[in-house]
Amino acid sequence: MGIEEKIDIDVFKVVTRAIAEAENLELMTGHLSQLLVVALGIKGCSIFALNHESQELEILGSFGLSVGYVNKGPVLSAKSIARTVKGEPIVVTDTSNSDLLQYPQEAIVEGVRAVVSLPITLHGRVIGALRLYHYDVWEVSERDLDSLMLLAEIIGLALMYTRLRYALLSVKETTNEIHTVWLEPFGV
Amino acid sequence: MAAQKLLLPYNFSDSDRKALDFAVSTFGHRDDIEVTIFHAHTPLPSIDVSSETVTGRLSQNINYLSQKVSEVETSLQEVKAELVRRGFSNDRVKLKFKPRKKEIAAEIIDLHAGEKFNLLVLNRKAGRIGRFFTGSVHAKVAAALRNATVCIVC
Repeated sequence: MGIEEKIDIDVFKVVTRAIAEAENLELMTGHLSQLLVVALGIKGCSIFALNHESQELEILGSFGLSVGYVNKGPVLSAKSIARTVKGEPIVVTDTSNSDLLQYPQEAIVEGVRAVVSLPITLHGRVIGALRLYHYDVWEVSERDLDSLMLLAEIIGLALMYTRLRYALLSVKETTNEIHTVWLEPFGV
Repeated sequence: MAAQKLLLPYNFSDSDRKALDFAVSTFGHRDDIEVTIFHAHTPLPSIDVSSETVTGRLSQNINYLSQKVSEVETSLQEVKAELVRRGFSNDRVKLKFKPRKKEIAAEIIDLHAGEKFNLLVLNRKAGRIGRFFTGSVHAKVAAALRNATVCIVC
């Protein structure tokens, strides 16, 4: 029997629409996490940004994971499913039988049996990771993995858009603070 | 009636925990301070698709989302219980748990506009990449407020 495919065009449509329609990054990452959890029937989802200075993956948004698991400690890109930051999608089908996790014991306590980690890239560089957590052993089909990779690329674009929007808003706020006296030298 | 109103935004992070510890050690012994613990959760997404297949599948699991949101509210009640255990009287600790409509800084500013807090205890973790995308919550809040004292725990 083949591996069940969970992502079809309708699921993809719902999830990408959540990205497109969110008014800010917090809502975007939150809704995206929620929708992936319900659409795939999994335990949880996290979206990380890679801090290139500290080499930590910092959570931008997550859903379905306990407070204790989210705060388990710094997620180091070199120790936690490390090949993701080299741009590869990684599927840990069974966490009880894998040496790829930084916090294997915490995963067991949390009830995380499988993890799918996908690089979020921009212009070919890794800027974050999308991680999906399942409470059962999980074989992911090639097609679903392709869809998730594409989704991670869209998240990368959305992150860039968010950054540019924030830059624009900052410029707008700064210009709004300029009194007209500085702009009208002839006292119009 | 408490003479001072303190707002403590709380998102269950290590930095939020530090801010809570600061609030307890600095204000816990005073009985003229009322604390409001504030958490804005991600609201459930509206699912509007034409395909009955996907709507059906999502709605089957939507209860899971509601359950998880309830768990967050329960966790917030545990934070209140901790404040009470550590010195605040029960009637001086309030909870504000609401769906997030705006970014968190704007939610805090709106809440302050309505309730006129005297004190806000915020936190800041150095070097966070998240600020690169959305800016700093504490900076936005501090810049927007008038007639309030803002404590930033680093």
